[in-house]
Amino acid sequence: MPGRSAAERIRKAIAVVNSAADGAGDEEITPTEIAEAIRDCLELPEIASIPNVRKYLGEALDATSDGMPADFVAMTLYAALGALQEGHSLN
Amino acid sequence: MRSAEGRGRTLDEAVDAALIELGETRRNVDVKVVREAPDETVVEVVVIDPSAPASEASAAPANGKAETVRALLEGLLKHMGVRATVQVRAGSDPITLDVSGRDLGALIGWRGETLRALQSVTNVMVGKHLNEGERVIVDVERYRQRREHTVREIALRAARQVKMTGDAITLDAMQAFERRAIHLALEGDPEVMSSSIGEEPERRVVVGPRKPSEQ
Repeated sequence: MPGRSAAERIRKAIAVVNSAADGAGDEEITPTEIAEAIRDCLELPEIASIPNVRKYLGEALDATSDGMPADFVAMTLYAALGALQEGHSLN
Repeated sequence: MRSAEGRGRTLDEAVDAALIELGETRRNVDVKVVREAPDETVVEVVVIDPSAPASEASAAPANGKAETVRALLEGLLKHMGVRATVQVRAGSDPITLDVSGRDLGALIGWRGETLRALQSVTNVMVGKHLNEGERVIVDVERYRQRREHTVREIALRAARQVKMTGDAITLDAMQAFERRAIHLALEGDPEVMSSSIGEEPERRVVVGPRKPSEQ
């Protein structure tokens, strides 16, 4: 199910960002790792047909490279996840 | 604050003994292991008073920053159409906001996903009122606190098993705050150690025997 894999990838990116924000204490998450997780989402062809998902993911990637707080990046990724779910419910 | 001491051969038995004495369920208590030996475990069980934040918050001196943050979250929930009250948890550092009300399951979401999103939005909203690196924790119906208690119990049980068998145990995939609760619960134990393996969101804690060089 294509929508599911996109949701899984976005959830993975969110988990990486949250891990950086919450600080589990057992590792250091770098912005490069967060950016990689977001780029993995952007590579999915299926998101092209769903409005706003690519836009929010792009904003999250920009926020990461601009050094914005992890919560801001997470919030933007949640918006991408919401847009994806909305897109699938409309289709 | 009501509390009771429980004794038993296992952690479960000790907690159950204290719960019977208090007439409470596991949902409403905080468990602290006082002593753990092969033949007997002693725990202190404290009842979490759901009305505590309100009464303690009103008794505590007004914290301007916490109050601002509380009001912002309350406003956000109001705009979302959620009828709930927000209180600052007394003595919490970082600032912890307790959201309570009826039927707030939707605010928690699947495995706490919505709650985590709400916390992210709240932190973005209140960011300018906070110092560099300072964050706000949002809890709904003490879901987060209960999860921390649960994973701490899982950690202690796993540690006991590791001590008996000498084999490492891999726990289920957990969120960062849950993994941190486990690391903190076991950091003072000279016989076991915890570490995390795997990639998010399937990252898991492994509890294993501490190597002699790491003691």
